[in-house]
This record gives sequence, structure tokens and C-alpha cells, in this order.
Amino acid sequence: MTKKLLLQFLFILSLGFVYAQKMTVTGSIINEKNELIPFVNVSVKGQNTGVIADIKGSYKIGLNDTTNAVLVFSFAGYVKQEVPINGRKTIDVIMTILLKDVQEVVVVGYGGSTVKELTGATSKVSGENIEKMNLSRMDQALQGQVSGVNVTTNSGSPGGSANIRIRGISTFGDNDPLILVDGIVYDSEGLNALNPSDIKSINVLKDATAGIYGVRAANGVIIVETKNGSMNSKPKFEYTAYYGIQQTARKLDLLNAQEYAVIKNEMFAMGGQAMPFANTNIGRGTSWQDSVFTTSPVQSHNLSLSGGTLNTKYSIGLGYFTQDGIVGGSKSHFSRYNARLNFSTDMSAKLKLNSVLLFSNDSRNTLPENGIGSVLYNTINAFPNQPIHKPNGNFSYLEEVADIINPIAQIQNQYNWGSAAKFVGKEEFIYAINEHLSFTNRLNYNYSVVNSKVFSPLVWYGTGKYANTASNENLDSPLIEIAPGTSIARGASVYEEKATYLDLTYESFLNYERTFNENHKIKGTAGISIFQRKGESLSGTGYGIPNNSVQYADISANTTPGGFLNNVGSWQFTERLVSSFLRAEYAFQSKYLFSAILRRDGSSKFGPNHRYGFFPTVSGGWVVSDEKFFRAKFISFFKIRASFGVSGNDQIPNFAYRGLLNGEGVYVFDDVLTQGIAIGRPSNPDLKWETTRQFNVGADLTFWQKLDFSTNYFIKNTYDLLFQPEVTAVLGSYGAGGYPPIINAGSVSNKGVELELGYKTPRKKLITADLNVNFTTITNKVTSVPSGVDYIPGAGFSIGGGTATRFQPGYEIGYFFGYQTAGIFQTQEQIDNAAVVQEGAQPGDLIFVDQNGDGIINFNNDSDKTYIGSPIPDFTMGFAFSLKAKGFDLSGNLYASIGQEIIRNYERQQPYANQLGYVVDRWTGPGTSNVNPRVTTGATRNNVFSDYYVEDGSFARLKNLQFGYTFPTLKLKKLKVDSFRIYIAANNLFTLTRYQGFDPDIGSSGVLSAGVDYGFYPQAKTFMGGVQLKF
Amino acid sequence: MRSLKYFLVSILIVLSSSSCEKFLSVDPQYTQDVENFFETKEDYERALVGAYDLLQGSFLTLWIGEIASDNSIAGGESVNDSQGLHQIDMMNHGGINSELRNVLRYNYAGITRVNYIMENQDKIDFVGKDHILAEARFLRAYYYFELVKFFGDIPLIIDKRIGIEEAVKLERTPKAEVYAQIEADLQYAISILNPVASQKGRATKGAAMAFLGKAYLYQNKFTEAAATFDELIATGTYSLIPNYADLFSVANENNSETVFDVQYSGLEGASYGCYICAEGNIAAGFGGIRQYNGPVYSDGNSYNLPTQDLYAAFSSIDQRRQTTILNIDAFIAAQPAPNDIHYAIGAGGHTGYYSNKYIKRLDEMGLPDNDLTSPVNYRVIRYADVLLMAAEAHYQIGNTSTAQSLVNQIRVRAGVPGVSVNSLDVIYRERRYELSMEGLRFFDLVRTGQAANFIDGFVVGKHELFPIPQVEIDLAGGKWNQNPGY
Repeated sequence: MTKKLLLQFLFILSLGFVYAQKMTVTGSIINEKNELIPFVNVSVKGQNTGVIADIKGSYKIGLNDTTNAVLVFSFAGYVKQEVPINGRKTIDVIMTILLKDVQEVVVVGYGGSTVKELTGATSKVSGENIEKMNLSRMDQALQGQVSGVNVTTNSGSPGGSANIRIRGISTFGDNDPLILVDGIVYDSEGLNALNPSDIKSINVLKDATAGIYGVRAANGVIIVETKNGSMNSKPKFEYTAYYGIQQTARKLDLLNAQEYAVIKNEMFAMGGQAMPFANTNIGRGTSWQDSVFTTSPVQSHNLSLSGGTLNTKYSIGLGYFTQDGIVGGSKSHFSRYNARLNFSTDMSAKLKLNSVLLFSNDSRNTLPENGIGSVLYNTINAFPNQPIHKPNGNFSYLEEVADIINPIAQIQNQYNWGSAAKFVGKEEFIYAINEHLSFTNRLNYNYSVVNSKVFSPLVWYGTGKYANTASNENLDSPLIEIAPGTSIARGASVYEEKATYLDLTYESFLNYERTFNENHKIKGTAGISIFQRKGESLSGTGYGIPNNSVQYADISANTTPGGFLNNVGSWQFTERLVSSFLRAEYAFQSKYLFSAILRRDGSSKFGPNHRYGFFPTVSGGWVVSDEKFFRAKFISFFKIRASFGVSGNDQIPNFAYRGLLNGEGVYVFDDVLTQGIAIGRPSNPDLKWETTRQFNVGADLTFWQKLDFSTNYFIKNTYDLLFQPEVTAVLGSYGAGGYPPIINAGSVSNKGVELELGYKTPRKKLITADLNVNFTTITNKVTSVPSGVDYIPGAGFSIGGGTATRFQPGYEIGYFFGYQTAGIFQTQEQIDNAAVVQEGAQPGDLIFVDQNGDGIINFNNDSDKTYIGSPIPDFTMGFAFSLKAKGFDLSGNLYASIGQEIIRNYERQQPYANQLGYVVDRWTGPGTSNVNPRVTTGATRNNVFSDYYVEDGSFARLKNLQFGYTFPTLKLKKLKVDSFRIYIAANNLFTLTRYQGFDPDIGSSGVLSAGVDYGFYPQAKTFMGGVQLKF
Repeated sequence: MRSLKYFLVSILIVLSSSSCEKFLSVDPQYTQDVENFFETKEDYERALVGAYDLLQGSFLTLWIGEIASDNSIAGGESVNDSQGLHQIDMMNHGGINSELRNVLRYNYAGITRVNYIMENQDKIDFVGKDHILAEARFLRAYYYFELVKFFGDIPLIIDKRIGIEEAVKLERTPKAEVYAQIEADLQYAISILNPVASQKGRATKGAAMAFLGKAYLYQNKFTEAAATFDELIATGTYSLIPNYADLFSVANENNSETVFDVQYSGLEGASYGCYICAEGNIAAGFGGIRQYNGPVYSDGNSYNLPTQDLYAAFSSIDQRRQTTILNIDAFIAAQPAPNDIHYAIGAGGHTGYYSNKYIKRLDEMGLPDNDLTSPVNYRVIRYADVLLMAAEAHYQIGNTSTAQSLVNQIRVRAGVPGVSVNSLDVIYRERRYELSMEGLRFFDLVRTGQAANFIDGFVVGKHELFPIPQVEIDLAGGKWNQNPGY
């Protein structure tokens, strides 16, 4: 091929000589990689004459003066070059590629495009940047890397997931983007299995051009490519490893024992009850946090081998990662083994095979998190006056409150294991029908086996504790009456579940690419995709585990007489998707770009009424800097893009369109539980796609050949949101095992601006710097709700405390709705003279604002509640830098999320529960506080949901800081080592925030519970050392 | 190029919707679909069990019917737990109340399950279908009666399920029409059901008659009420058991005095997450003594604590006092080793008394969910209640002597001297002695117009009905008027 091109090139060159005039200069233009560059602008400096090189990269320019004239070569994506002619007749030019490589191929779905010809809004992250974060999951590492992508953490526990939100929250239900690893669908839960070290690049499709993926594309698409070798290269080994220690980045300011005793006495006295502490001089007491948080290790090892022969390239990777939690150590654990094989070969001149196989086996131990009953919740609320252990060596019981148990005892008695083994792979055959047309057929598979096991020993946390499984302190088993008069001991129990999932995708498509008359480039794609996912599970519980010991924690060890108590369960599902798609692209001189996409999807998630959907997209681009009239010298590349299109979302449970009898209908007849049936979820045969219409306009610029700037403005409107809202009681959905129907509920609009700025010093400098900044601001607004209702209620506050968040037109999705406060009533006189009547108010109580102006604070309806915050940030920013000099390198990654609020909902509003340190500054008499209300066990309105419980959640966090040294190559050569780097690094070194909780970076997979802190497992602060070795 | 042709053909096939229609029609396995059920008699029977399930939500009536009255306080760990109950206790409840919301949710879930059966009543025919429909309609009457007691006018949905579009258009049906439906359902049930049920726990003819009489009484239709109760008493199916103290143990359930019980079981346990999923009695579990370690009783959450006023209302010779009320300190003092017995006082309130009718006992544990549930049934209508309701109806229509003999049947069993029933108040007082802590007091006070005399903070013209939770008004389209005064 190369030879042929060269001959053609020489031929054209010779033609050039034949037709050359007297004053003619000719030549060929190639780039640093020895590739011909077509359509380069060739002009004479200071004159208006110029030509455009042909498709083979040859030019011919007529001149009056070949002695003093200077030729100027310019082309988008390349450094502009001026060459004095000095009388020469042939001038061949090697042009330097700009730092932002506009010829770089970007995967856009069923084909590729170059950065230059791209018409959609995409952001690319290199695998190197992901790997450098030293995190177990790709989604965590993606935070702050690109604009328009907001990542929040669901849990900081090992293996804890994160939420990726591309361009705002646009639906209630599943907001997760479609994640494709080498074209294979990967759900975001499954990201635990993916080794960040295996990633070559991540490309995020943010706008409507993702519509090539149709019904799955509304939340954006993340395309992950794994590493591959290159042909004709020697085998290269690479070993990377790091070891780190983690600790909590923060502890809460809680009351010590003495403060606790004083405040509790005051609280009970104010409530008219006996004071619990006769002596308050009891010292600092127990710091439960100090005992619960531990310093835990994390380590990672990766070995890879890559290379290629004449027709083949390969890459093999092995990985191991293990991490203990900062809460619970090995009881909160994640580890993973990975093996990867990427293999590509030219089976014949026309047939190429790409094969990918990813194997992973991960396991995770978890503790209860997030909410009442979680370890951290118990830690926050445990009484500081009680020791961890009683003098007899038993754990202390924290009596007085039924739902607060000793967190150390809790950790010790938790045995929750989960593991997943996963085979993910692809066999892809690409057949070149002719030089313009190729035919791709591929089969993707994703097979996973997910196991989980929970061992529940007989435990006793103290009299009356909800979590007790034994019947007394001696750990006697409760007796279960299995028939009148016959009882058996229940004993310790173990629950096990085994679930398997198999995804199969068959895809077949044609790619056509041809350039006509040198200027008109046409590309076309047409294909089909058939997807099926099957899942099934079998679970069981065995009782009577011997010796109350984890050593026998398996159903096989159960000793229940007759197996009377043991029980089993199972489920299974199948879902399918059939799609066809067309894409046509046209480019005139790589300057005017146009693309159109049409996709049709059929999904088994919907009923026959609404099974199929069409998703069209159009987009265009204009490379302004290629125009002759464009003379702004400091701008080396300038492209304007626009796109508009429709995409969909079908991520709802299977069979939601039809009602199933999977509710719970159990009643007691003749003293025996009798199984009946009940409707689980009412049917909704008219359920249809959620559709997103998205408009995007953007520009990409390169200044002074070293500063890249990219911006987008988008309007993303989502209609017919798929959601299971709270519904009116009269529908009858709230019986046991009942759910509200899933409906198409309302619409949401997201509008936003994204900016990305990158700077890179030219390569040959002594010190090189690489700086990247990205900025995203999104305005989120609900635009409609289902007809008939004014809003949809969301998450609750405290226990039985009513709803705190709402989905309501004109406001952000899940905004906080409650009372606004205006300080504290200082005196009875102030209450008596107040213009607004606040029922039951006493001095020291919060003053609420009368929103509707009727002169009364109404606690019995919503008339005095108002907007008091939103979990959606005003803007997010990422900043990454990397400096290199003389083998040393320093890099860092800063992320900021500004303007969101968090609901402090981890405090148990119970008389004996411990409290945060701010209570020390409570109101105790006129003038003592205008912020924190009095404490009392009596009924007050201070605990209704108000802005008193809403805090500024803004934060800026140094996610990663790394300092490394690469040994000089020369010295290494003798050791046959290509490269050797060592580094030290820290994650989450500091976080700037005013938020009082453990971690302001709180996510929630439930849209309407976003920003509600239930006692979040914080991300760790980690110090690491690592090596990178290539040989 | 051949493969290209195949490919283009296959694209055409995929694009033509008919071929992949079959591929995309995935049916759920091993489960029945809502729309193709009721194919066999068993299907009807299983659906009926599902409709019974929601009776177990009546633990809320056991709470609210007492806490709202002068009989008990909300109690619990703190005033912030179950705020709705505390507000009802203080008579400052309003449109934000999760307990009241659950009353609405549970009962409409029950109604919907009945209507699902009724909607399909003509699908197939089999022997005994009328019996299934009669039980179903009995249950519907039960659920509507609960709703009309709490909220007054409520949307009446009969023999069909409704969708969201329809739900937001519903209006509140006048109370009288709801009662008319309750009467019709109960009369149908009476005409079909047997005096003795095939299984313990199922609705009987007598239960339907008792509810019909009660529904008449709540509408002040005294003549009809008296006639219905007379008919029921005349069947001789029921009698008072000799010893009042035996009435509320699990061991002695479903006895001759049981007209209708909500059945509970200790076999399954419960968790805080879903009370309606529980098969045990939440009211009894929560009514236990907080952090108690001692004989007879087990520990609980100290909810629904009897007041001093109730304790003092009893004559000291009335056996019913100690069956109704546990005086905890007196009880502990009477035990062999009182100093080893401890219990905790919840900051939600303490009176020194616990409901002795619905309390968690050591020998009634079931699965160890500790403080959540107990297997003790909720005695919704006892024969004693029938006699007292009959007495009241007769007194109202002038049959004072009948009333007097009915009331004194009750007193004889309780071991207290007979009284002369010379006023309604005598009957009302007797109801309090006999039926306190059984979820009736508040509704009795309201229907007899006495509530303002006995309940602190009770506002006439307002508190007779509970407010409809604001969020439910909003979710139902925002058109309903809130009950007056809220």
C-alpha cells in the first residue's frame, strides 16, 4: 500500500515537473509521521496569491520572484511554516502536527472520526490520566477530568460506586450514561470489574451525536478503549505498582462526655423530665470515631506485555488491586484480579480480526452504610459517656436508645461478602470489500457470576436493641414455633445468593468512505445491532449454623431439624433490544462538515403500543481557520460545530408496562401464614421511551499553537421522564409488596456552558508544563409534571418528618422544600409581640418566616414552606497540572463543585443520641445564640425541615498530587530497562469546605434524594508510593 | 459481495417491524400476569388472601383510636419519633402526618385488591364463587368504614381499578354514599356467608352483621342498628367468655366472644422498613415496655401509654382495670426480685401505665424482632361490643330496659354490680370500662358528640375528622377541599 502510494506520489510529482512553468515551485507536503497531507494552503508571504495542495499532498505554485519570496504553508492541525524559496524549484515540506492532534482518530460509535472532522461535542481522557489517579474505579477517576461530566460518590467504601452524570440530571430514574468498553455494554454497577490500568482512552459523547446509540444514548455515552499493542514492535513489558495507606480525611466535631452530660441534663430539664446525669463532671469519655476509623492499606500491581508482528498486534495485562476500608478495615474490603487479552490480526489482505477478552474476579466485604443502622450512624450517635467495653470485657450496650448500637460490636459481627467473576469479550471481523467499503461483524459477550453471602451470628447488643438476633445476653437462640406446640431453635443463619447474567450483542455494519473530485469526502455507515440480556438467580437461607461460628457459614452446614426454617428464592429475566442505524457524513475539503444519523430501536422493556422509536440527529461543522479569509495569526485552528438530535432512555425494570402478580398477599388463617397473590406494580401499557432533544453549539480553537480551547453551549430537554413517583393512595399501590406504576412523568430542561482549556509547552523545552482547566455550569429546571399534580414529593427528612425534596416545575430537580428561618426567639415578649403567630413557640425556638403572609406559621400544610436549597451545583471545575523537568515530574488534580447544598440528616433526633459540637453554642437564654435553638426533649417545631438543617455543600478538593522521578535512560539501557519511574502520591490531601459532615462529595443514585446526607462513608485520604517499570 | 447482499437483506428484515416483534415480546416466566389471572377457583382464592392482607394495617386504628382520645398518650422514644402520633395526642395534628397517610394508603390498597377481584367476578363460574365475593365485599366494607371514620367524605371506587389519569380526576364522595356502599356490601355478605367460617380468621355472617349494625350506629340509624344487633344476638352464635382477664392472650384467641379479629402471627418477624409487610401486630410490639428485662413481659417501644385519667376512671373492684392497664411500678414491686427488674422511660412520655391488652409478652414472642411485633390478634369486634352497641341503639329508640339488661350482662362478667341504665352516659361509660385500649374510644367520643368534653384541645367542627394529608390532596390533583378547620 505504502509502495503504491509512493509511486503515485512520484508520478504526480513528475507531472508537476512536466507542467511546471518558468517561475514555478513545486513540492510535496508530509507530516512528521511521513504521511502525505492533502489540501494544505500554500501562499506567498505578503501577497494575495496562493494555491491549495491536491489530495496527494502535492502543490504547484507560480511565482514572479523565486529568489526573495517566502512560501507560507498552513493547514488546520499543523504548525504554520514559512520557507524562504532561495531560488529553489522544489521545496518539500515536513509539517509539524499541532499539540492538539486534529488528525487523531476518535471513536464515535460504529466508526471513527478525526478530531478535525468531528461535529459532536466530545471530551477525551487519556488512560494515563485515569491511571494516574490511583483509584479502584474508572468513574471515580473521571471526576473533574472533563467538562459536562459530573461525578459524585455514592460511598467512599472500598468498591463503592459513583454516579456519572453527563450534562446534568435529566431523569428521575436511571441517569447513568451508556458505558461501552471496546464496544461492549458495561453497566455502571459493573465498573468494579474494570481495571483502570487497562484503559487506553475514554471518550465521552455528550451531545445528540451520541444518538447513533439511540434509545440508550440520552444520558450520554462513554466509550472506553482498552490498551492494544502495535504492529511490528518488539514485546514490551510494563510493571506498575503502588502501595498506600488510607485514613479518614475528617472526623466530626462531636460532644465529649462532659459536654454531653451537661447538655442532656439541660435537654431533659427543659422537657420537664428528670435529669439523667447526677454528676456531669465525667471527663472526655469515649471518642467512638477514634475507634471506628482505622488506618488501612491499599495496593495495586499491574503487569502488561504488548507488541506485534507484521500482521498481528497484541497486548496482555494482569492486574491485582486490594483495599481495606477506613471504617472496619478488612470488614470493608475490596479486591480484584484482572486479566486482559487484546489481539488483532490481519487474517488476509482483506479480513481483519479484533479480539478482546477481559476477565475479572472481584470481591467486596461491606458494612451497613448510609442511614439508620449504619456503622457511621451509630458512631455519630453513640453516647460518649459509655466505654467501648464494660469491665467484664463485653461490649457496652448503649442502653436507652433501641436503634443505636455499639458500632465496634457491630463491625465485629458483620459478615457480608460479595464477589463477581466476569468474562467480557468481543470477536470482531472486519472485511474490506473494496478500498471504500468495509463490512464489520462482531459478537460481544458479557458473562458474569455474582455471589453474595451474609452470615448472621447470634448477637446481643443490649436489651431492646432492634439488631439483636439472640434472645438474651447468653446468646441463646430464639425458639420458633413451627407448629402449635412444636418449637425449634433458630440459631445463626446464613443467606446466599448466586446470580448469573449473560449479555450477548451481535452487530453488523457497513462503513463506506470515499473522496470524490478531491474535495468531496463521503462517509456512510449502516448496520444493525441485536442485544439480549438474561439474568437468573437462586438464593437461600440456612438456619442453625453450628457453634455460632463464621467457620461454618454456609447453607450446607445448616442444622435445622427437617430444614423447616430454611427458605429459598429465585428470579429470572430476559430483555432484548433490536436496532438499526444509518449515518451519512459529508465533508468538503475537510472544511465544511455535515453528518446525519438515524437510529431505530425496538425494546422489550415496552409494551406493543410503544415498542419502537426513531432517533434522528443532524450535525455540522465549519473549520473557519481553513478559510483563506481567516488571517488571525494567533489562532492556528478554529472550528465551529452544531448538532441537534433526539435520543432515548429505556432504563426501567423489565415488564413495567404490564402488571405482575408479584406483590405480597399473606394473611393468617388457622394460625398459619397463607400465601395469596397481589398486584406488585400496576400495569401501564402506554409506557413509552423517555426522549431527550438536545441542541449543542460549540467551538474548538487553538491559540499560538499551544493553547487549546473548547467550548459548548447546550440545551437538553428531556420529555416523558420514566419514573416511579409517589402516587395518590387511592391507586392502591401501597400494600405489602406493592409499588406505584412507572409512568412517563413530566419533563426537565438542562442548559449549560462547558469550557475546556489546555496548555502544553512545546516539547523541546527544559521544563514542560501541561495544564488543563475545565468548567461546567448547568441550569437545571423541571418544566412539567404529570397532569393533575403540582409536584412529585421526594426524600423524607428525619423519621416521619415529611418530605424534604420535590420535583416541581420551575425548580431544580430534587430541590429542598422547607421552612425558612430568621434566627431564634430570645424572649417571650418577642414572641408575644411578633407580627406572625408561631404556634407553640418558646424562647430559644427557631423563628420561621411567614411565606404566604397570612400572619400564621402553618405547620399543617405546605403554605409556609419554600425553596431552601438545591443539590445541584452552580458550577463544577477541574484543574489538572503536570510539570516535568530533568526527570522530575509533579502533577496534581483539583476538583471543585460550588453552589450546591446538603441536608444534614445523619443526626438522630433522639434525647440520648450524641450531637455535633455546634450544640455547645445553643440558645440558653436571651442573647446567647441566634443560630442554634434550645435543647429539649419536649415537643418543639425546631425539628421540622428548615434551612437550619441545610448547609452549603460547596467544596474544592485536591484529588491527587503526585511527585515522581524518572531515571535517565542511558543508565537504564545497560540493565535492559527502557524506563523506570518512582513516585509518591496523595489522594484527597485536602478539601476546602464549610460543610460539617464527613464528606461533601455525596452522591445518591436516587435523583430526589441527592444531597441528603444519611451518614455517608467518606472517601479516604491516601498516601502512596509507586513504581513504573518498562523493559 | 455476497455477504453484502445478505447484509442489506438483513437490514431490511430488521427494519420491517413484524419480524422482530416476536423477538421483542418477552414474557415473564413463572409468574402470572395481572390481566390473565382468574382462570381457576384457586386464582380467586389467592386474590382474596391478598385482599385480607391489608387488615393487618389496622394497628394504626389501635393506636390512633386511643391516642387521639383521653385514654392514652403517644409515648415512645422521643416526641420526634412518630411525630404524627404525638401531634394527634396533642390535638395539633394537621395535613402533614405520615400515620394518617398510611391509614389512607393501607385501606385503599385493601379496597383496590377487593376491586381487582370484583372487576373479574364474571370471568369464570364455579361453585363457591359467591362465597369468595361475599368475603371480598365484607373486606371492602371494612376498609371503607375505616376511611369514612377517619376522614369523612372519601372517593368511592367500586368494582374496578383506576389509573393515574382517572385518579387525579376523582372527587370526594359524600359520606352518606360511602355508607350506602358499606351497607350494600355487608348485606350481600350477610346473605351469603356462613355463621362459622371454614377457617379461623375468615369473615363470617355474624361479623358482617356486627359491622352492619356498627355502620348504622355510626350514622345514628338506631332502629336499623338495634334490629341488626338483635338478629345477631338471636343467632346465639356468640357468648361472653367467663373471665375478662382471658380475653387478650394469644393462647385464648378466636373464642366464643370473637366476632371479628384481625389475625396476626409471630412466624415472620418484621423490620422498621415496612410495617405493612409485617404479619405480626405492630401496635402490640410497639406497646411493650421499653428496655424491659423481667418476667411476664418482653421489651418494646413504650407506645400508646394509658393515662392516669383512664386508670382513675375504673372502680378499684373492677377486674377490667388490671386487664386493661399495666401499672408497671406496682407490677415490679410485686415480683420476687424487684431490684433485678429494669425498664427505661422513653422521652416521648411516661405515665407509669402500659396497655395490658396489646403488649408484648415473653410467651408470645415468635421470631425475635424484639420490639416490633407480637402475634396477638386485634379484637376488632368482640361480642361484648355488640351487646353494648345494641344497648346503645335500644336506649336511643326508647327500649331502656333492653339496654339495661344488655349492659348488665357485661357488668356481671366483669364482677361489678349491675347499674341502672338511666342515661346514655351510663352506656358510654361502660363502653370505656369494657373497651378501652381497643382502638374505639376516640371514634366513640366523636360519634356520641362528647369528644370536646373529654379531649383537651378538641375543637368542635374540626377534630371530628382527621385531616387528609396535604400530599395526598396534592397527588390526587389538588382539587379536594381539606376537612374543615385544618
